[in-house]
Amino acid sequence: MPRTLIVDPTAPCLNQPQQLGRTLDGLTGKVVGFIDDSKPNFNHLVDDLAELLVNRYGASKVIKRRKRVSSHPASDTVITELVEQCDMVITGSGD
Amino acid sequence: MAKRGPAAVAICSTAFAALGRAQATALGYPELPIAVIPHPFGSRTRDEVRQLAEQCIGEIVRLVCEAGPRDSSVVPNRSSLTERAALIKVPGDLDGLYSLFRERHWGDGLPVVPPTTERVERMLCHSHRAATEVVATVAPGFGAATIERIAANAVLAGCDPEYLPVLIAAVEAVAEPRFNLQGIQVTTNPAAPWLIVNGPIGKRLGVNSGVNCLGQGTCANATLGRALRLILQNIGGALPGEMDRATQGQPGKYTFCCAENEEMNPWEPLHVERGFAPECSAITVVGGASGTLNMNTHAKDADDLLRVIADTMAHPTSNDYWTGGEPWLVLAPEHAEILKRAGLSKSDVKRRLWEQSKMPAGRMAAKDRLRTGDARRAELGEIGPDTMLPISTQPELIGIVVAGGPGTHSVYVPTYGNSRSVTRKVVCNA
Repeated sequence: MPRTLIVDPTAPCLNQPQQLGRTLDGLTGKVVGFIDDSKPNFNHLVDDLAELLVNRYGASKVIKRRKRVSSHPASDTVITELVEQCDMVITGSGD
Repeated sequence: MAKRGPAAVAICSTAFAALGRAQATALGYPELPIAVIPHPFGSRTRDEVRQLAEQCIGEIVRLVCEAGPRDSSVVPNRSSLTERAALIKVPGDLDGLYSLFRERHWGDGLPVVPPTTERVERMLCHSHRAATEVVATVAPGFGAATIERIAANAVLAGCDPEYLPVLIAAVEAVAEPRFNLQGIQVTTNPAAPWLIVNGPIGKRLGVNSGVNCLGQGTCANATLGRALRLILQNIGGALPGEMDRATQGQPGKYTFCCAENEEMNPWEPLHVERGFAPECSAITVVGGASGTLNMNTHAKDADDLLRVIADTMAHPTSNDYWTGGEPWLVLAPEHAEILKRAGLSKSDVKRRLWEQSKMPAGRMAAKDRLRTGDARRAELGEIGPDTMLPISTQPELIGIVVAGGPGTHSVYVPTYGNSRSVTRKVVCNA
């Protein structure tokens, strides 16, 4: 069967693989940050997880930050704050 | 976040877990820990959310405490970024070709034109830029949109070779951060980029600005909009059901393109309003959310006309009211003429519509009013049921183009809201 040569219309990703954050050996005394994506109920999940992380796993402090709208990234100010202060950061996506 | 040091975990509902994984991989974090909770999440009761927290806390802690692979095993093919696109041998018959394209999800479901090397080369003659030049990276997959890959997708869509400069400008425009392509590509909203053409290139390429300009029947309108969609899908990686999470989508996701009817526009055209010379050619991309809403009115009086248009714009499920957005209107030439004859400038029309389309927040669902409070508190203060919400943060953000043929139908284009339109000059190969 005759063959035709075509140009691949897809593209490779430009982003280089990144090093993930560190692995923790436990949460006792650790500072946990939350980026609340502002979707319905995520604020409640943040509250409940925060309570469990402190009371059950010994986290020393929780910092909660809520996005203005879900479809924009958290501000640089928030990211800088959480990076400087937290050992672990939790965020979410989904309705 | 993860690259900066702290351990990181994402929580995704089941329906969005695949998106979360694909997005993390595209951003360079294929091993990002993701805790999955059942979907739907937002409609759960307060007690159910507590139970979910109990169910997933152990998994979250395990994910951050368990030593696992922390370097990516997925390495992008960097070398290909500076080389020509890959060439693929495909079946020479159309049936075989269409099967291959369906199998690889390279199309929009309609038959495509094979992007043979000859066809792509003919298209490349219409840009002075190198075939390998990266115009932009396209969210959410961050594929590199080179001139050549844009041309390949333009061929696929059925574009004539001389359409290429319009698409290059369109890719530049959608990649501007304020357009928020990331949000538009992955949202459950039916958002679709609407491509508006201004200036002499519209006529030169035969982009329809008149009768049925947002309908079928004109090659340039049909294929330019389609090519942009294929670029977003093939280069940007927003495959329906995978990273493109639109709940229903909309017909405008196949193609959504027209020119402004500058001859029948009693005001300055869109690109001139945005600082370009009248003889310059430009495109504007708009994050249209719901296709078009027809506004058929025989109103002959400017006050009456503005009243019914403003009334149509005000609806409580609009992203524009929730976020302080950027709604658009396609005014029929006859309607534009009524407003012009009443002595109104385009700016006056925007101001009047902005005032008259204010909507009591109490018309929204309670949960939507709450999120509107989150989104617009800094602008409007605390939002109660009686708060009058403007559709956009400023009257100037209401977009107006004049297009279409004879008739009493103007069109309202609600938008994604979390996006701002972008206008770019079209540079033709002299």
